[in-house]
Amino acid sequence: MEKLKYERPLIKKMNAGMMNKFGSQSESTPVTHIDGVSVKSIIEKYGSPVFVLSEQKIRQNYKSAVRAFNTRYPKVQFAWSYKTHYNNAVCNIFHQEGSWAEVVSGFEYKKALGNGVPGSNIIFNGPDKHADEIKLAIENDSLIHIDHFEELYLLIDICSQLDKKARVAIRVNMDTGIYPMWDRFGFNYENGQAWQALNKIVESGKLQLVGLHAHIGTYMLSTAAYGVAASKLCDLAMNCKNELKTPVKYIDLGGGFPSANTLKGAIGLVPTPTVDEFAEVITSTILNYGFKVDELPLLILESGRVMIDDAGYLLGTVLANKRLSDGRKATIMDFGVNIMFTSFWYDHKISPAQEVSQFTEETVMYGPLCMNIDIVRETVSLPLLNRGDHVVVHKVGAYNMTQWMQFIAMRPNIVLIDTNDQTHVIRKAETLDYLQELEVMPQHLQRNN
Amino acid sequence: MLLMIVSFFNPYAGITGLIATLLAIALSHFTGLNKRSIQNGTYSYNALIIGIGMGSIYNFSSAFWLLLLIIVILSVILSVVLQNKLGRYGLPFLTIPFVICLWTILLVTKDFEAIHFTFRNIYWLNDVYAVGDQKLVNFIMFMEKLDIPPLVSTFFRALSSLYFQNNILAGLLIAIGILIHSRIIFSLIIVGFLSAYCFNNIVMAHPEGMNYYLIGGNFILTSVAVGGFFVVPSFHSYLWAIISVPITFLIVMALGIILGQWHLPVFSMPFCITVLSLLYFFALKAQKGRVVLTPLQFFSPEKNLYNYLNNKERLLNVNTIRLQLPFIGKWMVSQGYEGSITHKGEWSKALDFIIVDQELKTYDQFAAVPENFYCFGKPVLAAADGFVEKIEDYIDDNAIGTINQKQNWGNSIVLKHAEGLYTKMSHLKKGSFKVQIGDFVKQGDIVAACGNSGRSPEPHLHFQVQSTPAIGSKTLSYPLAHYAVSMNGKIAFKEFSVPKETEIVCNTAADPSLKAAFEFLPGFNLSVKADGMEDGKWEVFTDAYNQPYIYCHQSKSVAYFKRNENVFYFISFQGDKKSLLYYFYLACYKVYLSSEPSVIVADKFPLQLTKNTAIKWLQDIVSPFIIFGQLYYESFHKIRSNDFLNPSITVESKQILQFLSIKRTINQFDIEISNSRISSFSFQKNHQQIKAVCVPKTY
Repeated sequence: MEKLKYERPLIKKMNAGMMNKFGSQSESTPVTHIDGVSVKSIIEKYGSPVFVLSEQKIRQNYKSAVRAFNTRYPKVQFAWSYKTHYNNAVCNIFHQEGSWAEVVSGFEYKKALGNGVPGSNIIFNGPDKHADEIKLAIENDSLIHIDHFEELYLLIDICSQLDKKARVAIRVNMDTGIYPMWDRFGFNYENGQAWQALNKIVESGKLQLVGLHAHIGTYMLSTAAYGVAASKLCDLAMNCKNELKTPVKYIDLGGGFPSANTLKGAIGLVPTPTVDEFAEVITSTILNYGFKVDELPLLILESGRVMIDDAGYLLGTVLANKRLSDGRKATIMDFGVNIMFTSFWYDHKISPAQEVSQFTEETVMYGPLCMNIDIVRETVSLPLLNRGDHVVVHKVGAYNMTQWMQFIAMRPNIVLIDTNDQTHVIRKAETLDYLQELEVMPQHLQRNN
Repeated sequence: MLLMIVSFFNPYAGITGLIATLLAIALSHFTGLNKRSIQNGTYSYNALIIGIGMGSIYNFSSAFWLLLLIIVILSVILSVVLQNKLGRYGLPFLTIPFVICLWTILLVTKDFEAIHFTFRNIYWLNDVYAVGDQKLVNFIMFMEKLDIPPLVSTFFRALSSLYFQNNILAGLLIAIGILIHSRIIFSLIIVGFLSAYCFNNIVMAHPEGMNYYLIGGNFILTSVAVGGFFVVPSFHSYLWAIISVPITFLIVMALGIILGQWHLPVFSMPFCITVLSLLYFFALKAQKGRVVLTPLQFFSPEKNLYNYLNNKERLLNVNTIRLQLPFIGKWMVSQGYEGSITHKGEWSKALDFIIVDQELKTYDQFAAVPENFYCFGKPVLAAADGFVEKIEDYIDDNAIGTINQKQNWGNSIVLKHAEGLYTKMSHLKKGSFKVQIGDFVKQGDIVAACGNSGRSPEPHLHFQVQSTPAIGSKTLSYPLAHYAVSMNGKIAFKEFSVPKETEIVCNTAADPSLKAAFEFLPGFNLSVKADGMEDGKWEVFTDAYNQPYIYCHQSKSVAYFKRNENVFYFISFQGDKKSLLYYFYLACYKVYLSSEPSVIVADKFPLQLTKNTAIKWLQDIVSPFIIFGQLYYESFHKIRSNDFLNPSITVESKQILQFLSIKRTINQFDIEISNSRISSFSFQKNHQQIKAVCVPKTY
């Protein structure tokens, strides 16, 4: 018989916690496997901490989002939001599934080209597009979403030089009844700037107006706002057709659908609307707007987070336990906020990766950085963990692997579990050489004594 | 050509025939008759035989020519009148004008001082000598004296009598000419001849042998007309050909006795009577199918047969109302026709649809509430244009697992697409209806949403076609015009088919640029150029029946086509087979306009498009009974640049000839499409790759 695991005795204040239909909320259910691969074996092979992505889950998420839209609307196209996760292997999963690319910078644009996405299937968003990048995008017939008038004039200039019409759309911001209103990107609908921009585009004769774009916010918890946005874009589309005699080919409603993470400050379980609910509002708004069946615009969506968040896991290891001055328990992990940027937004669900007792204790979870801000969870109810025990952090697929930084600690391996449960490193852990590769030492500093 | 030579065996008859024909054509043009009918010789073929007949009977004189002119005028008038009268019943007027005209002449000319019977026919060798001097005479005499069985010599003499002659050589040449023109006619001639010969030998009507003219002018012609010309050749048409000959035989005898009173020959009147009666009889028969009257006359039994077989397969559904699937996206058939759950008895021709995910699950998370089912609340569309006939919208959607057997159909809508053609969708979501009774809906319009009302344990869409408007009417088996089936990541298109249980199906979306490239609206002009070929100047027209066709001003060729939401296809080609239009017809015989590339379109050409080879002749001979050759067509398209606004597309197609099990690709085509138009197409001709560039003419 195996020796029973030692657990320190503890005295705990009586705390019933929030009730839900599965009993008292607890995160102590161990997660020992991801897609049939054991956490232990992944850490043994790839080190700790390590990011793990499930290809199967990504494909499932994509298919179900597509199904939600294309069983309601005849012409739907998804464009993978590169900023959410631009590892090429991940991008190619989406491209294999039929997704276009949505980029917000020159290097993302080149990444998409490098991944073999046809130029005409790349949407170029963002407020900072350089002239040379715009040229490249025009030559590749990409869809350039204009953010401000300066960019519009720059485009007209470049097109005059190139003698080629750029395919453009404008980004529109609007009041959809939610706060805060995102009015810093694109042209405002209510004050007429959007309509003014559309007029300038058509009058210039240098640009081909092909679409309209809105992205009303991120982690949106209201479906009604999308109905308002779709309706305002449809209004502009109708005006483009009737008054400017330039029908647009597509309406792009951006992304912003929430994943099932828990926002900081949310009390208990806040129900987040599903993709289906967003799809219902958006498609029914457009279908009821009064377009003829064969003149319905293509509906483009740039969802990122909802496609990949729950397909990403971070596996880590306990470094130490402490008792703080006020008596709270603290656990120090080997991963910190430098690779888990989203811990500033979410209370990530954290599960132990091995069998544990049913007793839990409120714990502060710290990262390994020698900085006061490095708090992974301010309070989490976890069973007793010993040094060397593993944990699984859930729903970290979106943004973390693009917003991460090497600060004190370096960035770890990213491992992809394919649909046959085989593991592949898709980004290697960083090394000191990699870190110093770009450093340049001036002559006078070559010696330090 | 051979036949022309034969008619000039008797040069006087030949010349008169030619002059009479020219007169008839000139007259028809002068009086402004239908141009196409003139070209087909509809008004002149009776004049031709009248000319030959008169040339053989009378001596030339100015009175003779005047008489010929008058009688040709009469024949044209009779042709037009009879064409109109008999045409109403779909019947040809055959040689009735000829018979009437020649009878008239024969009855009256006895008394005309200026008209004399000729004795040339008795000394016909003199004429032959004049044409081909001694050698030809010797050859003909050699043929005449050959020791050939009486059966064979009678056969050839009978054939020669078709041109008012009586010699073996002429018969032989006619036989060869016919064989080259049509194997089926040749075989029918033999069938007719043998039938007459046997009948005569049994009843012993003419123990000494039959009159050649009667055999040629009546029995053989009847056999050809009934067996393969006015009727699509088949086993049954050959049976009728055999039967028709003794019938004609009796009419010949009876008519001969009556007309003998006035010393008139029967000419081809018995043939006309038998053929017209039989054709009318076939047309009136309630049960068609065994004997089919030639729907479109190509003046060749082979062409008639191959076209008929081809069209029967290709154009069967050309005029049916096109139904599409009543939903958006991919759905699975959860219960098909004759389904095991509820599609039974009078309601067996119905389809149930649901949405499934990649694990074939129908719901997300838990199957606790209808809202978790993928199909619940999804739009339900009109399958075709029509009026909203009935709506029932007051029945609550069931909780999962319970059914409402009181209101079996649940919330339902019935659409009327035509008299006797309704579609019904059931188990719809309460309160989801977007239309009202009496509204007109277009195909693809949203009418309601999928729900879970009525006898529905979990959300699904019930779809049926019915011939009466009531909710609860019995079902009608009726195919969907065009849809795609996904299977293991591959897509197949189905036309005029009914989806089967467990198939995952969706409507096919047309590619806008392919659709535009094959738009071909009337007035569309295209100029086509290729090295070493005559230029094509194409224009699109519609005919009196509103059928669109491409006409080439250069080669005077015509290619009829059809186009709908999903498919472009050619129906027929007439004209110059060396023209670019012909190659275009072959290349674009059938093209799916779908945005789904690489789906192979398979079709068949009519077999007469193959070159004449020994094996093709063999096929021709047995074609009424068995078809062992096929000329297949295949096409698919590739997207060269994946630009959603302006894709470059290549349609690749080929022609494959198959005899028994040997397949051979005989031509390959590439049609290039860019900027939403056809920019060029290429094909092989005499082992050379030829590229034709298409430039639209704009005004």
